[in-house]
Amino acid sequence: MGIENKTDCHVLVIGSGGAGIRAAVEAETFGETIIVSKTITGKGGCTVMAEGGFNAVLNEEDSIQTHFEDTMRGGAFLNDESLVETLASEAPNRIRDLFSWGAVFDLAKDNTIAQRPFGGQRCARTCYAGDHTGHELVMTLLEKLRGSSVQIENEVTVLDLLYDGERVNGAITCDREGELGVITADSVILATGGAGQVYDTTTNSTAGTGDGYALGYKAGAQLIDMEQVQFHPTGAVTPYDSRGRLITEAVRGEGGTLKNTLGERFMTKYDPARMELSTRDIVSRAIATEVLEGRGTPHGGVWLDVSHLPREQIETRLPIMLNQFLKYGVDIRNEPMEVAPTAHHFMGGIMITPEAKTTVPHLYAAGEVTGGVHGGNRLGGNALADTQVFGRRAGLAAGKTERTARTIDAAQIKAAENKLQSYYNGSTKTADVRRSMKTIMWNNVGIYRNELDLRVAEREIRKLQNTPLKIESPRELPDAVITENMLLVAQLVIEGALLRRESRGAHTRTDVKQTWTNETSPFGHTFFVKGKSGIEILEEKL
Amino acid sequence: MKVTISRFDPDTGEPPKFVEYDVSVKEAARVLNVLDAVRDTIDPGFAYRHCCRGGQCGSCAVRVNGEPVLACMQEAKEGDVIEPLELPRIRDLVTDIAPVMAQMAWMNLGCDCTPVTQQEIEEIKPLRECIECYSCISACPAIAASDFKGPTIMRQEQRLDLDPRDKGDRILEAIEKGLFSCTTCHKCVEVCPKNIETPRKAIEKLRAEAAKRGLSLPAHKALASLIEKTGRSVERKERTFLEQIPDVIEPEGEVRATVGFFVGCMFNGRVVQPALDAMEVLRLNGIRVIIPKDQVCCGSPLIRTGLSGFVPELQKRNIDAFVKAGVDTVITICAGCGSTLKNDYDTPFRVLDITEFLCEIGFKAPEKVEGTYTYHDPCHLLRGQGISEQPRILLNSVTDNFVEMPARCCGAGGGVKSGLPEQAAAIGAVRAEMVKKTGADFIVTVCPFCEFHLHQVTGLPIKQIGSLMLEGYRKQG
Repeated sequence: MGIENKTDCHVLVIGSGGAGIRAAVEAETFGETIIVSKTITGKGGCTVMAEGGFNAVLNEEDSIQTHFEDTMRGGAFLNDESLVETLASEAPNRIRDLFSWGAVFDLAKDNTIAQRPFGGQRCARTCYAGDHTGHELVMTLLEKLRGSSVQIENEVTVLDLLYDGERVNGAITCDREGELGVITADSVILATGGAGQVYDTTTNSTAGTGDGYALGYKAGAQLIDMEQVQFHPTGAVTPYDSRGRLITEAVRGEGGTLKNTLGERFMTKYDPARMELSTRDIVSRAIATEVLEGRGTPHGGVWLDVSHLPREQIETRLPIMLNQFLKYGVDIRNEPMEVAPTAHHFMGGIMITPEAKTTVPHLYAAGEVTGGVHGGNRLGGNALADTQVFGRRAGLAAGKTERTARTIDAAQIKAAENKLQSYYNGSTKTADVRRSMKTIMWNNVGIYRNELDLRVAEREIRKLQNTPLKIESPRELPDAVITENMLLVAQLVIEGALLRRESRGAHTRTDVKQTWTNETSPFGHTFFVKGKSGIEILEEKL
Repeated sequence: MKVTISRFDPDTGEPPKFVEYDVSVKEAARVLNVLDAVRDTIDPGFAYRHCCRGGQCGSCAVRVNGEPVLACMQEAKEGDVIEPLELPRIRDLVTDIAPVMAQMAWMNLGCDCTPVTQQEIEEIKPLRECIECYSCISACPAIAASDFKGPTIMRQEQRLDLDPRDKGDRILEAIEKGLFSCTTCHKCVEVCPKNIETPRKAIEKLRAEAAKRGLSLPAHKALASLIEKTGRSVERKERTFLEQIPDVIEPEGEVRATVGFFVGCMFNGRVVQPALDAMEVLRLNGIRVIIPKDQVCCGSPLIRTGLSGFVPELQKRNIDAFVKAGVDTVITICAGCGSTLKNDYDTPFRVLDITEFLCEIGFKAPEKVEGTYTYHDPCHLLRGQGISEQPRILLNSVTDNFVEMPARCCGAGGGVKSGLPEQAAAIGAVRAEMVKKTGADFIVTVCPFCEFHLHQVTGLPIKQIGSLMLEGYRKQG
């Protein structure tokens, strides 16, 4: 075995966003914990970019049951009920954790936690820190993490999970210089976030490449509902390189209106009761329809307007939005924003129990890498809550994992080394493969889907998977491995989209006529486990 | 688009080198899009950090044409020169930020769980927006010259000090991390993508807390007691400006305007001639100047060092003096006094620096003088008052040999010269090198502290802008 750089710990956490750090600070109380980040802990992932808020039931007009129902309904009843119950009932305590650790969320005049309304929810349930809630959450977690004994490994990419035949027991890593390493552990937590980067237009950070889906899948874990990709209704449209940048739902939460180029508030046609604060899947389809039918801007967007709101409200509640747009020459206090849907959140992912256990022993998962919490459509404000509720649970469960003797599978390491070696003889640059993949996914596996387009995408992605990637230096190793991870994720999304012959949540099939509603659908989760995939048929609903 | 990027690979054993790249990017592309294009189309081994693409994670800070910016927010321009932040370098644009991160204080939670109030939250917020891009660490002139850990490290100390949930002793910690080393040059504010006002909102506040506990530097304490005793930060050694000058100076010919004049301690008691020269320049330009004799120290040395207990008294005496004089405009010739009157006072009259005023009202063109001149931007004029153009207009009117020099703190401000003279000298030495490169015979500035300090570190003659103008007028005869 050629790898000299070896470390051992009790719990290994992969991923350094909100879920990863939360998991690490919880696991640390049970034993030595390492957190690895392919970027810089606290900077990577999408938590730090989350703008809108954190859903938690905190006052008497609201209830856990209402949060549960809103989440199930918003999720097109594809959610795993036990996960939703856990989310709703534990979110309040997780926000209290954050407050006791120093969070600087907005407070109301009576010093209680301030909350604002978000789409698809019957109560003002979303706690926030201006429009940089995710940043605030991460800063709070960093203050906690820095005061803990957790060992932080920055700019280390996990190439593969180690498996000893019975359980996951570590990972093969690669550092900035391309040097391989092994971290062995009693348990491993995947908290690697989503994969918006497989699409051309996305809100995700450049780290949103879905590595955890691929790592889990390759280690034998079951994934579900990978076709359920949320397109956030309001992404930036111009300038070109800024396309997809998130325009937070808080803009609509504060009273922003959507208009087409005829000046119509078109949401009256799609959801007259909830209007702009309908769920994200509905608003995204509404915008896509307006644009398809010729009522969009020349750039393919619609207008989102807050200029009727008091200037002070925009300045204090939406300062990041205001400043970002000012940088591009648009003063949102006076003029509308041009917006269009953008790939945002993967509702599908690794199947977990409420204890955050995957189907593989000693492998746990939390946050966007998991599936089942948000069903077919995630409510705004539920992702940050998800990171904290299940991050803590994953940390707890992984921490409690029994200590086991280490057996490292030498063949697995050898295989990894050989594979990496083969990249030097490849033919195609990773950047070129990624660009092709993003275009295919955006054009064929977007908001509106049909079998024909999906089959084209399936073929094209397979072609890319069969293209040998080329690197010239060991430093490019992570790039090549991540590109393969992304292609695997793309493949699973397409498989799921083909399997689910219905329109449900964020997944819309224009070529399927259905007689059932979300509640009466005969279909359950799509599922994917090493070489096998399918869709659950609910006998009782047939 | 053509850009130049500083490349470096320690494995090659070669020093960093600049490489020009020509890449194609879309309209309104950001610097980050240019870096992506270089990696994707030319060199996949090119190393730089990036993540959120929206100015929220702080990963991609680099220097463009010398100034720290976020690559994802800065619009790329033809000919940009892109370099890493001034931190220990790992490869290409990637720097070692681990030592900085290690200095960032974390919350020391007590067990009594003191709840936080809305008011406290609102106070902490402005210090909370930091995205840890470390642009301020890269740009701070004090770090290389001392043990100062840097602006954002102080910001975090103050953020914790304001929070009732934190039980750590942030004052002792801040002092250990170099609290008194900041010259309050405000360069950190200029480069901060979130415009966090660290000197005013963190450093001066921490120093004030330190002062309450008697932890100020001995030199600062001595200065404070001198001001409380005499109303002046400079001991009287010879006839002061205010003792030499009449209450009102009438101009020659038509009176174009009437202004009050605020002299400041240094020009009143230590270097009097430039103040006298400035009066003559105003007189020759048709300005009537009223000089209230009961004016006192502006309080800047107290505010900057945190010993601000006596400041309200000074503020009252100064405002009263000029209100009594009946002027609506007060002229300063000291950058520090001007910045303090503008930013730390609520004055019922306008305060203008002399360069600002002369450019606004128009001035008689002087004769050109001999010699080569460079201009040192005083931090409290450039960043404290946003004035950079006007001094240059005046300079170009009086010399044909003006050589530009990039702005950088001389090291004298913020109580550093009095409190930590060795550090001030070390910062000054860097500035002296920059001056030397210009080949100038004289340095021109608008601040007595800069004048005093620059003269010490460069050995060159320093001229206040008014004195230089007067030379030009005198040449006309």
